[in-house]
Formats: sequence, structure tokens, C-alpha cells
Amino acid sequence: MRFTKIVIPVALCVLLLGFAVPAQRKYGRGAKPKPLPVVSPIDTEALKGLITQQRERPLLVNFWATFCDPCRDEFPDLVKIDKQYRPNSLEFVTVSLDDIDQIKTDVPKFLNSMSATMPAYLLNVTDPEPAINFIDRRWQGDLPATYLYNEKGELVYKHIGRVNTAELREAIEKVVKKSD
Amino acid sequence: MRAKNLSILFAALFVVAGAVLATGARAEGEVPAPPAIGATIEDFTLPDVDNRDRSLKSLAGKNGTVLLFIAVQCPVSNAYNERMEKLAADYKAKGIAVIGINSNVAEDAAAVKAHAAEHKLSFPILKDPGNKIADKLGASVTPEAYFIDQNNKLLYHGRIDNSRNAAQVESNDLRNALDSALAGKSVEKTEAKAFGCSIKRA
Repeated sequence: MRFTKIVIPVALCVLLLGFAVPAQRKYGRGAKPKPLPVVSPIDTEALKGLITQQRERPLLVNFWATFCDPCRDEFPDLVKIDKQYRPNSLEFVTVSLDDIDQIKTDVPKFLNSMSATMPAYLLNVTDPEPAINFIDRRWQGDLPATYLYNEKGELVYKHIGRVNTAELREAIEKVVKKSD
Repeated sequence: MRAKNLSILFAALFVVAGAVLATGARAEGEVPAPPAIGATIEDFTLPDVDNRDRSLKSLAGKNGTVLLFIAVQCPVSNAYNERMEKLAADYKAKGIAVIGINSNVAEDAAAVKAHAAEHKLSFPILKDPGNKIADKLGASVTPEAYFIDQNNKLLYHGRIDNSRNAAQVESNDLRNALDSALAGKSVEKTEAKAFGCSIKRA
């Protein structure tokens, strides 16, 4: 009788604590919301530097915008490609052509929703034409546009419009193997 | 009998597959090349938002015409609504007409009409079913402008100006082209990359 008087309340307390501690971890005051990804502004000259600089690995650049439906549609595929190749053999950056006002709002929110962790930039220029012409004279600036450069900064693959994942993987495999 | 039915079925499938391939042959993202500056744009007829057929000839200005590919949902195109309306008003008196063209497959005539009313766009807007005119002109994005003279000769193709943000406009490329043509001068900058939302083709 004495045993049950002590053990049952103790067991109940332990049981309640067991529920309470994880709940506090999840919802308690100490819990911090996941920070939004940092999106850095980039101008035409910095973009040129980013693409033309000597690097050890090939570079994949995806131009996109939150207002662009095919850009949003293809993003999960790009995130998969990023997770597969960037840890070992590829550099991958995204360049948003959204408005500068969205650099701390819509753009990182979307990247966050996609669990995208590749370095993210937003083209911060008053005139996008020099940047578009530098990237590709034949590109009209329509989005999305994806460019793959080898480690020397030479363009080896491009696709304007929603990317064909198999085709992009093939291009990456070729250039990654070459650089091995 | 059964074999005959099967062969008819296969023949029908073959014809359907052929038709699908023929109509969907263009790869996604691939837009036909635009006509060269100086080329003549053929007259065309498209339905307006009330489904009345309107020809380019019937809407053209006596000193030239601006064809503007625009959209209902594109935020870049929408950022230009006021500027497009002002352009149409400013140049109407100078004999240059502005015609909007909506080639987006997902935006029907009713949506285009409602959008024009909401944003007080008073220039005529035509619907381009099957994006035939967008293909003919090689239009990729919204907004994208084509300026043709009174003989339908292409004088300028590209953006309206350098920035979707009206406060950051430094280069009024389309207006400069119109002003040069009105002054009897040749257009200095005949092309400028149009930046915006891709036209959603059928």
C-alpha cells in the first residue's frame, strides 16, 4: 500500500515530464524559428567576376525569379542536383532577377520553402541588359535560364526555359568527369 | 474481324500521335527568332477582348504602331501598366497607335478584359490564340515592344525602358525610338533586351 502510494505519483510525474520536455523543446520560449537563407545583392561587375574567376570546380548558375512559374516548378529538381553534386564536385549559385525590395522577403522565403542551401544572389542593377548580354548575347532575359561553366570559366551547357533534368545531369557528369 | 479492328485502332493512334508530335514539336523555352530590324511585318488579324476580329491595318497609327506583348498576371508587365497607358495617351496625338497583345495561353479574353478595366488600360488589347503572332514576331517575354512605321517596317524591338521600377528609369528606349521616327531621324538604338515573364505558350 505504501509502495503504491509512492511509486504511482512518481511514475506519473516521470510520464508527464516525458511529454513536457519535448513539447517545451518544440514550442518553448527558447525555440528559435529557422533563419531565412541569406540572399546577397550582386551587380553586373561582381557577376562577371563570379563567372570568369578561376575555380577548382565547374560552376552551375541558375537565373530565376519568384514571379516566374517555370522557375518555381523546376526548383525542386535543382535542389536535388545541388545536394547530389555540390558537396563534392560542383559549385552552384542561383541569381534571382526579382526586385531588390524582395531580397529579404519573397526570395529567401521561397528558397527556404525549397530547402535550398546553394549560395543565392539577387541581381541588383538598374539596367539588367549589360548583365544579360554578358551572360549570353542570344538570351532575351526570359526565365529560367541555366548555364554551366567548366573550371576555366568556359560555357559548356545552357538551357533557357524549364530545365531538362536528364540533359542537365548528363552535362554535369561530362564536365565533372573531365575535371577529375 | 478482330484483327481488322485492331489495325484500325493502331492506324488511328498513329495519326493522333503524329498530330501531337507535329503540333508540339518545339522544345520548351525555344522561341522562334524575331524578324530583323527593317523587316516588314505582315498584316494580321486577331480577336479583341470582346471577340471581334481586328486587323493590324485597322488599328495602325498614321505615323506608326507599337505592338506591346503584355500579361495579366506577370508582375513585371503589371509594373508597366501606368507607363504603357501614358505612352498610348502621349503618342496618340502624334499619330502613333499602341496595341496590346496577350499571347499567354492561361489568360483568356475575359481575364484580359477585366485586367484592362482594373488597370485603366484604354488602348486596344488583342488576344493571340495559339501564340501565332508571338511566334511570328519571336516575342519571348512580357512586356516586350515592337515599333513599326506606317509601312509596317520594324524600327525597334525590345524593352520599354531599363527598369521595372519607374523611379529607376534611365533609358527610355521605346520612347526614344518613337521620338526619332517622328522627327524623321533614324532610330539610334534599334534593339534592347526585353526583361520580364516568359510568354506562356500553348
